[in-house]
Amino acid sequence: MSTLRFENITVRFGSVTAVNDVTLEVPNGAVVGLVGESGSGKTTLARAAVGLAPMQVGRVLLDGVPVSRHGPARQLQMVFQDPYSSLDPRMRIGDTIAEALPEVARAEREGQVNRLLELVHLNPARAKDYPARLSGGQRQRVAIARALAARPAVLVADEITSALDVSIQGSILNLVRTLQRELGLTMLFISHNLAVLRYVAQRVAVMKDGGIVEEGPTAQVLGTPRDPYTKELLAAIPGR
Amino acid sequence: MDSLKRVLRTPLGVGALSMLGLVFLLAIFAPLLWGEAASETDTAHLLAPPSAEHWVGTDSLGRDLWLRTLVATRLTVLLALGATALGVLLGILLGSAPALLGRRIGRFVTAAVNILVAFPGLLLCLFFAVIFGVGEVGAVFAIGLAGAPTFARLCHTLVAGVQERDFVTASRIAGRSRAYVLFKHILPNIAEPLVVQATIGAGSCLLTFSGLSFLGLGVQSPAFDWGRLMNEGLNRIYLNPLAALAPGLLVITAGLAFNLTGEAIARAFNVETSGSWVTATAAARTAARKVPAAFSAANTVPREVLRVTDLQVGFPGSNPVRGVSFDLRPGEALGIVGESGAGKSLTGLAIAQLIEPPGQVDGEITFLGMPLRPDGGEDQRKLLGTSMALIFQDPMSSFNPARRIGEQLAEISRVHQGMNRRAAWERAVDRLRAVRISDPQRRAGQHPFEFSGGMRQRAMIGMGLMAAPKLLIADEPTTSLDVTVQQQVLDLIDSVREEEQVALILISHDLTLVAERCERILVMYAGRVVEDIPASALAVAQHPYTRLLLAAVPTLATDLDSPLAVIPGSQPDPSTQFSGCAFAPRCPLADDICRTREPLLRNAIPPIDDTRKKPGLGITLKTSRMRLELNLGGKPGSPVHTGQVACWHKGEPLPAPTLIDDDLPDETLAGVGR
Repeated sequence: MSTLRFENITVRFGSVTAVNDVTLEVPNGAVVGLVGESGSGKTTLARAAVGLAPMQVGRVLLDGVPVSRHGPARQLQMVFQDPYSSLDPRMRIGDTIAEALPEVARAEREGQVNRLLELVHLNPARAKDYPARLSGGQRQRVAIARALAARPAVLVADEITSALDVSIQGSILNLVRTLQRELGLTMLFISHNLAVLRYVAQRVAVMKDGGIVEEGPTAQVLGTPRDPYTKELLAAIPGR
Repeated sequence: MDSLKRVLRTPLGVGALSMLGLVFLLAIFAPLLWGEAASETDTAHLLAPPSAEHWVGTDSLGRDLWLRTLVATRLTVLLALGATALGVLLGILLGSAPALLGRRIGRFVTAAVNILVAFPGLLLCLFFAVIFGVGEVGAVFAIGLAGAPTFARLCHTLVAGVQERDFVTASRIAGRSRAYVLFKHILPNIAEPLVVQATIGAGSCLLTFSGLSFLGLGVQSPAFDWGRLMNEGLNRIYLNPLAALAPGLLVITAGLAFNLTGEAIARAFNVETSGSWVTATAAARTAARKVPAAFSAANTVPREVLRVTDLQVGFPGSNPVRGVSFDLRPGEALGIVGESGAGKSLTGLAIAQLIEPPGQVDGEITFLGMPLRPDGGEDQRKLLGTSMALIFQDPMSSFNPARRIGEQLAEISRVHQGMNRRAAWERAVDRLRAVRISDPQRRAGQHPFEFSGGMRQRAMIGMGLMAAPKLLIADEPTTSLDVTVQQQVLDLIDSVREEEQVALILISHDLTLVAERCERILVMYAGRVVEDIPASALAVAQHPYTRLLLAAVPTLATDLDSPLAVIPGSQPDPSTQFSGCAFAPRCPLADDICRTREPLLRNAIPPIDDTRKKPGLGITLKTSRMRLELNLGGKPGSPVHTGQVACWHKGEPLPAPTLIDDDLPDETLAGVGR
């Protein structure tokens, strides 16, 4: 695992500036939460990191080394919002995970897949199942296992609990925390929910209109917010 | 094999496949059985008319035309299949080129394909036939090449659809090559429509090939296919019409066999993509969107606005709502919460009489003193249209995109209240102002797309308020909105409710949100109300499901050192037959009673007095929420649960959340799907 650094990133789509001169650091072994409304640019920033959105200006650095600006970068892996779209319905989940493994011998592959399934608390016997046999929470676990299979330096999680039913969101958040503790994961965790970020992230960055308006340790940002927008976000959480 | 079975399940499938089977049997065996007889010349019977010996007559060399027609099946089918294979292969190659070669080169290929598609297929075919010269190989190439652009276009569209999906992106991020992604992910996922199209394509190739041969451009003597036979028979069409008609009939039969098979496959796969229950819900939702709503009849005001008794909603093969009862007082705010599939939205739609066949609603619904029936007459329609307002999750689909917002609001007053155009418009502007839309005069003249999501949702509420409804049913009204906008919309609903004394049913998956806005909450699970609880008493909820739901979602007060509660497994499918409590497979308290007898809604157990603490009940709850611990102690001033609970173990302490997982054995997950 290593430190991920966004340096003066600007992403434009035509005349629309989605991300405007953003600099953000995800320190080694930490979970940094990124919060903001839809359209604030948080997903675009994540996609820029893994090479899915074109950056006009700026660099993404891993331990000071620029990540390839063209095409996907293997050291950064992403977990998507909707586990019903992120798993190939025609592929057994074991094969889905295996395809993200770096080149390994066929014999070794099964062991690796089993280990990854256990890591995300799924029964290794499920490797032979197709996604249709799995619940939403289980699918999201498979998606996390696939991302981990590539041995990424940094994991980017984009709203990974938003598409799940309330009753199983907790289990995915628990898993993220366990993994972070056990593997020392470096993670950029995107969510629109501050309470979720409070639970998993050590630092929080608040994004608005393509820029970061506030960044700092979670307790500080949530406890004594400086930016009016952060205050507004906090005030909007139901059941405070 | 499974898909073959599915095709064979319909009469169309059986018919089409047996026809196709017959054609293939002929193609295989006819030349073996009658090959020699068909080329035997019989100088005694040159150009004979049909007879018992020669059913279709003979040709100029005295060969039996019926046998020749049967024998020609092989060549005809082979050539058609060859041309199809060529077209499909080229089509897939061209269609997936953008995915394989990247955007820039892909764009050229796509443009070229688009130009080729613009040419009529027959023109291309004749063009290639001329280039490749007369003969069967030339014709195969001509027809194959001519069919390729259409197939390429289809393939390209399908590929583009799958390429958007996250699993393709994930595979690319994992470092897989474009070719790998194409063969491993994209092609398997578009195989079904391709197979359908190829089958239908084979039918039209057969027709085209016969056409070319008939024109003399295809198969040449001494070889013969059906087109060739028709060509030869045409000269004597007045003397022996059967000589041309027999091969013609076989062309039609074989063409139909291919086409119908394709059709049957397509239908079989469609059945899979939309299960009956999902379609039913979707249909109900679409129906719901068509009906905006509302203003007031307000002549009689009974004690309760709404009384629902034993409401059931059924679809063929499933029962998503299984007996829901509740009352609603004027101005009361009731929340209905549950996971997706719990039946909460269908309950709302059933109350508004928006469940359409094959859905069936049972039970009693009394709204403002009037019993509502699915076949209710004009009076009921008027009452619903004027006193009940509905707000849905997606306001964009609730508005007609082509008409101004103001007109759409005004229309309700003009139709239901008989207002004139000007008065109705002014009313619309006034209502937009009431839902805090700034500059309402100008905004009323705008179209829905000029409104932001939050504004559209406000306008939708404004539409419901064209007069003063007595009941507002809001189904996930803020789910697609951002947190801050969400709060504004809910504030607006609150103030409307207070000012106009409107009762509210707020349907949501978010327990904390509902608790903040409603006085009473119905927690639904698998089509039933499992707990009916005052919002203020949520902290002392007695159903394990309610308590776990609360503990499963982090709040700003969640203890950071302990894991969140987890409800393993998932909600049973509405088609499941229950014995016992539907929640039992996921419940940490479940025992044999729970698994065999379904608990009914009964009064919640009264709060425990500190001084007479019964053993076993006074144990504090060690969940991630501190509040639970305090409240169960029965301290003075603590919230009291005056509602009802359906649980054999209501109020019993739950085990502390550990890192359990939602990986359950298969039997509990059987029938679970989305």
